[in-house]
Parts: sequence; C-alpha cells; structure tokens
Amino acid sequence: MHLFLKFLCETVHGGRGGYPQFFSLPRCHLPFRRSLQTTTTETKHCLLILVGLLLGGIIFGAEEKSPPVMNSDVFFLYLLPPIVLDAGYFMPTRLFFENFGTIFWYAVVGTLWNAIGIGISLFGICQISAFGLTDITLLQNLLFGSLISAVDPVAVLAVFENIHVNEQLYILVFGESLLNDAITVVLYNLFKSFCQMRTIQVIDIFAGIANFFIVGIGGVLIGILLGFVAAFTTRFTHKIRVIEPLFVFLYSYLSYITAEMFHLSGIMAITACAMTMNKYVEENVSQKSYTTIKYFMKMLSSVSETLIFIFMGVSTVGKNHEWNWAFVSFTLLFCLIWRALGVFVLTQIINVFRTIPLTFKDQFIIAYGGLRGAICFSLVFLLPPSVFPRKKLFITAVIVVIFFTVFIQGITIRPLVEFLDVKRSNKKQPAVSEEIYNRFFDHVKTGIEDVCGHWGHNFWRDKFKKFDNKYLRRLLIRENQPKSSIVSLYKKLEIKHAIEMAESGMISKVPSSVSLSEYHEGKIKPLSPTEMENMREILTKNLYQIRHRTMSYNRHSLAADANEKQAKEILIRRRHSFRESLRKTNSLSRERPAAANTKRFLSLPKNTKLPEKLRVRNKTSSRVGDSSDSEMDATTTVLNLRPRAGKILREQRLRQQRPPSEFSMEWKNEVDGSQNGRGEQQEPGSLPQPSIGFRQPLLTRPRFGTLSREDLTADHGLARPVPPPRLVRQASQGERQRSKPENQPY
Amino acid sequence: MCRMFQCYTEVNCDACRCLTDELFVVEHARTAILQPTREDFQRIPELAINPLGDRIINAFFPEGEDQVNFRGFMRTLAHFRPIEDNEKSKDQNGPEPLNSRSNKLHFAFRLYDLDKDDKISRDELLQVLRMMVGVNISDEQLGSIADRTIQEADQDGDCAISFAEFVKVLEKVDVEQKMSIRFLH
Repeated sequence: MHLFLKFLCETVHGGRGGYPQFFSLPRCHLPFRRSLQTTTTETKHCLLILVGLLLGGIIFGAEEKSPPVMNSDVFFLYLLPPIVLDAGYFMPTRLFFENFGTIFWYAVVGTLWNAIGIGISLFGICQISAFGLTDITLLQNLLFGSLISAVDPVAVLAVFENIHVNEQLYILVFGESLLNDAITVVLYNLFKSFCQMRTIQVIDIFAGIANFFIVGIGGVLIGILLGFVAAFTTRFTHKIRVIEPLFVFLYSYLSYITAEMFHLSGIMAITACAMTMNKYVEENVSQKSYTTIKYFMKMLSSVSETLIFIFMGVSTVGKNHEWNWAFVSFTLLFCLIWRALGVFVLTQIINVFRTIPLTFKDQFIIAYGGLRGAICFSLVFLLPPSVFPRKKLFITAVIVVIFFTVFIQGITIRPLVEFLDVKRSNKKQPAVSEEIYNRFFDHVKTGIEDVCGHWGHNFWRDKFKKFDNKYLRRLLIRENQPKSSIVSLYKKLEIKHAIEMAESGMISKVPSSVSLSEYHEGKIKPLSPTEMENMREILTKNLYQIRHRTMSYNRHSLAADANEKQAKEILIRRRHSFRESLRKTNSLSRERPAAANTKRFLSLPKNTKLPEKLRVRNKTSSRVGDSSDSEMDATTTVLNLRPRAGKILREQRLRQQRPPSEFSMEWKNEVDGSQNGRGEQQEPGSLPQPSIGFRQPLLTRPRFGTLSREDLTADHGLARPVPPPRLVRQASQGERQRSKPENQPY
Repeated sequence: MCRMFQCYTEVNCDACRCLTDELFVVEHARTAILQPTREDFQRIPELAINPLGDRIINAFFPEGEDQVNFRGFMRTLAHFRPIEDNEKSKDQNGPEPLNSRSNKLHFAFRLYDLDKDDKISRDELLQVLRMMVGVNISDEQLGSIADRTIQEADQDGDCAISFAEFVKVLEKVDVEQKMSIRFLH
C-alpha cells in the first residue's frame, strides 16, 4: 500500500509542479506558428495515466487484490496493430523514402546503441554487491535494455509544429518511431530466446543477427504483397461501395497476423501494407469510403492508445512491485544519458552526409523527446517469470521510467524549447508590418520552390515511377471514364452551378475599387499599443498559412481543414478576379493575339471518381469551406498534387488523339457570357479551334476547369443555344450581386 | 556576365533535371521548344493555391512578354541562390551578383510594385494584403493595417514606400535565409 501512495504522491507532485508552469508561459513572442494548440498530446497522456491510477486504486481498494492487467495477447493482437496501421497509413511516403537512409540509421543503430549501452551499464551497476542485484545476469540486463529503449517520439511531433517547421526533422522522428518499434520487438525476442538457452556460442550470435534481417525483410515483403492484393481487390469493388473500407482493414490486419504466424515482424508488415495500399486504394474507392477509412482508422488508433494508457495506470496499482533504489534510479539515469549521447553522436556522423544539417535545437528535441510508452510496458509484462526471478523489479523500473518521461519530460519539453527559442530571438516587439513581410517572403519562397520542383531527383525513384506507371497502375487502378458525354456534361453544369453559389457568397468580401481609392492624405494617426496588439492579433489569425508539404501527424485528429478552406478561397478569388479583368479588357478589345494565352485552372482539389465527387460538390455547394466530406484534407491535396498533375497531363495527351468532338469546354463559354452580360452556359460539342494554335490542356473531368482567353476569339462563328432558364436566372443574379470589379493587373 | 554564368551553372544542371519533372518542360520537350508561357506555370497546382501565385508567375516573365526562355527562367531563379561567405570577399568592383541581399530585396519589391514607379503605394499594398489575408477582415481593418505598415516604413512622408525605405524596414529580417533555396540535394 505504501508503494501506491508513494507513486501517487510522486505523480501528483510532478503533475502539479508541471501544470502551472506550463500554462503561464507567455506566448506572444511566437506569433505565426502553425497551430496554437491549447491542449497537447503530452497532457492527454498524463491525464489518461492519472485516470488509470484512479481506477486502479478504486479496484484495489474494493477488492483488495491486484486489478486485471493487460496481458500480452490483448496488447499485441488488438491494441498495437491499429496504432501502427494509423502511423503507416498517414506516413508521407515520398518524404519517407527520400530520407530513408537517415531514418534507418537513427532507428536501427540508435536503438541498438541504446539497448546495448543501457544493458551493459546496468550490468556494471549490478555487479556492485552493495545494491543487492548481483543475481541479474548480463543477458537479462541486455534484455531489459532492449525493451526500455523503445522510444515513442510521436508525442513530440506536436511540439515541433509550434516551434520549428522543418520537414526533414519531422519525417525523421516519425519514421524513427515506426521503425524502432519493430526493431525493439525483434531484439526483445532475440534476447529472450538467448536467455532461455543454456549455452551461447558465437554461431548463435550470428544466427541472431541473420534472424534480425530475415524477420525485418520478411515482414516487409509480406506487407507489400498483401498491399498489392488489397489494391487489386479494390479495383473491382465499384458495385459494393459500402464494404470497401472493410477490405482495407482486413488486409492490413491479415498482413499483421500472417507475419506473426511466420514469426516475422508484424509491425513491419502492417506498415508496409499500409504504405503500399495507400496510393492505389485512394484512387479506387469512392469518396465516402475514403473518408470512412480515414476516420475509422483514427478512431481505432485513438481508442487503442487511450486504452493502453489507462491500463498502464491501472496496472501500476498492485502488489507486483519490488522497489530497489539503485536499480530504478540508475535505469532512469542511463536512459537519459544514453539517449542524449546516442542522438548527439549519430547526428554528428549523419550530418556529414546531409546537405541540411540538424541543429543543436533539433538534437535536443529529439533527445529530450524520447518518451517511453506502451511498448516497453507490455514487453516487460511478457517476461516469463521462470527465467526472470526479479521480474517485479523490472516492472517497477519500467513504470518509473515511463511515468517520469511522460509526466516530467512530456510537460516540460515545450517550455524548455520555448526558453531556448526566446533566448536567441529578438526581444523587441515586432512591428505590424514585419509580420506581413515575413509571411510575404515565406509565400514567395514556397512559390519559387514549387516552380523549380524543389524536391530534386532520384534515380531509383524515377525507375520506380516508370515501373509503377507502366505496370502497377494499369493493373491496380480502375479506369473510370464517364459513360456518355451527355452525362458528363450535365455533371459539369452542376459543378459550375455549385461554384457560382460558393462564389457569390465570397464576392461581397472582395474590396471594391471605390474603397481602394478612398484615401485621404495625412490621415494616418499614431496608434496606441493596444490597437497595435489588436492589429497583430487580427493578422495572426487571418494571414494565409504557408502551404506545407507534409501535414503534421496527430494520432487523435485528422489534418486540419483550414488549408482546404484557404485553398478554396484563393482559387475562387483568383477565378473571379480573372473573369473581372477579362470583362474589362474585353470591353476594350475583342481581338487578342493568340499568343496572349492566359489560362486559369480551377483545380477543385479532389482526385477520385467522377459521379460521387460531383454529387458531393453539389450538396456542399451552399456551404463554403466546410462540408461533411471535408476529408478533402490538405494531405491528399498537397501530397498528391504532383502525381495527380502528371496523370492529368497523360490523360490530356491521350485525349489529343481522340476526336475532339467529345470535348465540351465548360468554362470557356462563361467568359463569352460576359460579352452579353448573360450567364454562363454550356455548349456541347463546341470545339477549340485548333487552327489558332491552341493547345489542348482542357479536361473533361471537372477536376480542372479552364478559362481560356483565346476562346474569346474562337467564338465568333458559334451559335450559342439558349441556356436553361434556371441557370440564366442564377447567373444574372450572380452578376448583379457582384461589386465593382477590382482593379487587377492582368 | 560571368556572374550570371556562374549562377547559371550552379543553379544548375541538377535544377534542369529536376525541372524535367515539371509539367511544362515535359510538355514542351515534345515540341522541342523550351518556351513556357503563363499557362504552363499556372498548371503547377501548388502555385494555384499560393496566395501570391499570380505575382510570382509574373515575376518570371520579362516586361510585356508572354514567354520565358530558359535563360530568363534561370535568371529569376538565380535570385534565390544562397549567399555564400566566400563570395563576400570577392571582387567588389564587379557587378553585383543576382543573389545579393540588395537584389533579393529588389525582387521582392518588384512583386509589390506593379506599375514600376519604384514606390509601393497604398493601393498596391492593399492589393497584396488582400491576397494574403482571408475573407474575414473587413476593408476598414485592412485599410488601417495598410496605413500602419506605411507609417512604420515611411520616412520622407510621401505615404508610399520607396525601395530605400523598404530596405530599411527589413534590415533586421534575415532576408538571406528567407529568400534562399538550396537547389542541390
């Protein structure tokens, strides 16, 4: 009982000591970070453990025996796979493979370093007879070291968002967390089997190393194989949409179980399966199934993690503890020391090979953010007590380490980093304009990076892409051409109507040129500090975010919809302003040289199938910026835009060979509509005049719609049918609602 | 000119190869004319959702033209080459390299200044602000923010920001880092 009280006091004290400090830190010197989160993952974990402790205490008090402890089957078969699946599914694959060397280095070598280092130093401590630990053998220490080196750094990703936008660092931490789980489990099994053998020969060590590789690679192969099978299956599921998500989950779980059955690494298998499946499944399943998959996956992993932490709290209370000051404190010490040393040394070595080196702050975050989590906890419960007479000691030590890292390190990492940040940053309050300029520069830089294809080239990636395009995509992805051009035409009309409605909601916000010219000289008055503060706040909230290539990963939520909303607003405004400028220049001259070919692409950021997409768009047309299907998250948009664009280009080329009569150009005629002030309508069968030297980028899929200036000139001879009354009315209403056109340079 | 060539070669063969990944170069490689137009830039989806996308595209095209050749393209990109230390001590008599701090700032200044009168007027500032900000800010608020910005920068009282004032406001900002892209990976 006194143990329980001791633990409770320690945690509560640690918690109480941590909270006020955390909440009282001023945040005004961090104006433009990606998210101003008020609740953090670390505090969530702490609260969960506290709840578990409470529960455990209640059960213990009520029944006077140890509460039910999570056993290994439950953990490894039911609680762990969803977490790993979630991490693998949302992993940005391209970034992952580009940094694979570094990730592998940190995960494998780092984990080995930690495991062996902690094991050997603990063995050294155990040799000191004063501590009463001499019966713990070297192998047992090594095993203990391997299980306690399982770091779960995903919790620190939330911290990264707020202080440091470094994609390389992000993917490093993320990838390391995935891989080192697998490696820890493999090492654990290895050492456990060693412990159970009577004698160990050198050949066994080599066999162990070979086994390590076989287990890892075998798991990956199984995962990839089943990932392909899953993708292939989804190719044929267009008649049975409702059970599409089921296939995704079933195949992933199947890969996990199969790998475990063959004594290979289930974690690697499920990760590989998720990463493989991701690309192809996205394109095959319907919009709603895709949403379902993502939300369900997040739900499962959230639930698993919550349960694990509560179990941890519950299991702490009870009689299966053995306290030994030396062992526990030295374990904690060595964990910290070896982690810091490991990260530091590895970084020095890896920085030689990287063009963008990791700074000291990055290293500090990685080292300090090495929180231990559920894996070590469950692994220690799995130890067979026959081979490990001091099992209770191990359990106690592990629990102390976990509690320490989760509570103390988890809560203090953010303030510490802010402290580090503040010291180096300028103490002066930034002027209002500086924030604008900073954001301006960031946007420009991002834009230029996008233009020059910042990510560089890679021989293997190109080869894989070629192979992928030639064979895999043909095999695994279903082609979905619309059946008839009339159907697609109708759908285009719907979508245009939807855009109109969205746009009319937004037009009123565009400043009229009247207000722009309303400027009286000499009216600038000096502002008080509160007004400046207000201004800064307004700017912080409303300035558009820079587009980030990788979304932040959070186990408990999907990527924010803010980016989607922002993208929509920008696109709609551009389209509107372009149309206005065209209208203006149109009134000046209707003849434009063919070379003045400015097109706008209205990329409705969605990628998959035609019919569902459009119906979805239709339903959500009245609500700008949010929809029930707002999984149109920037993850998909951002990460897949390039391959998407390539695919579109391919399709364009394909279409160029087909007879152009199938084409109907949706937005083209709305530009003409501006000539007679009437609404936009469609003309089925209207052609781009190839004689003008017109290139053919237009697509029938409403994924992209284009406005073409040249089409103005092309339209002289074409008679336009009378549009359906509904559209005309709407369109003319839309015209009336528009404010005076903004003065745009184009 | 030799600076330009330096920039050209550094910014580089690799950049050319990575550009082949970009749509418009692929498209044009088929016709063997490497002269992308504005539409090709606009086909880059990421630029479409960049608030300053139009301005950035415009910056690539020289005055009044609608096509950019490779040299012009490289010239624009050369502004973003990181400043290296060994360059600072090189000959001070030669023409200033394109990626000097002053030229980087000039590039940014040109993005604001559309009518090329070497001043950022309130209108131009408002336009850029409106592009960068969502729809939730009213015109009055935006106007006062623009006023404040001009007030902070303006020294000669003409209610517009000249290039010299622009440079002065940004003297504490690490422009070299913000406007540099590492082209080689």
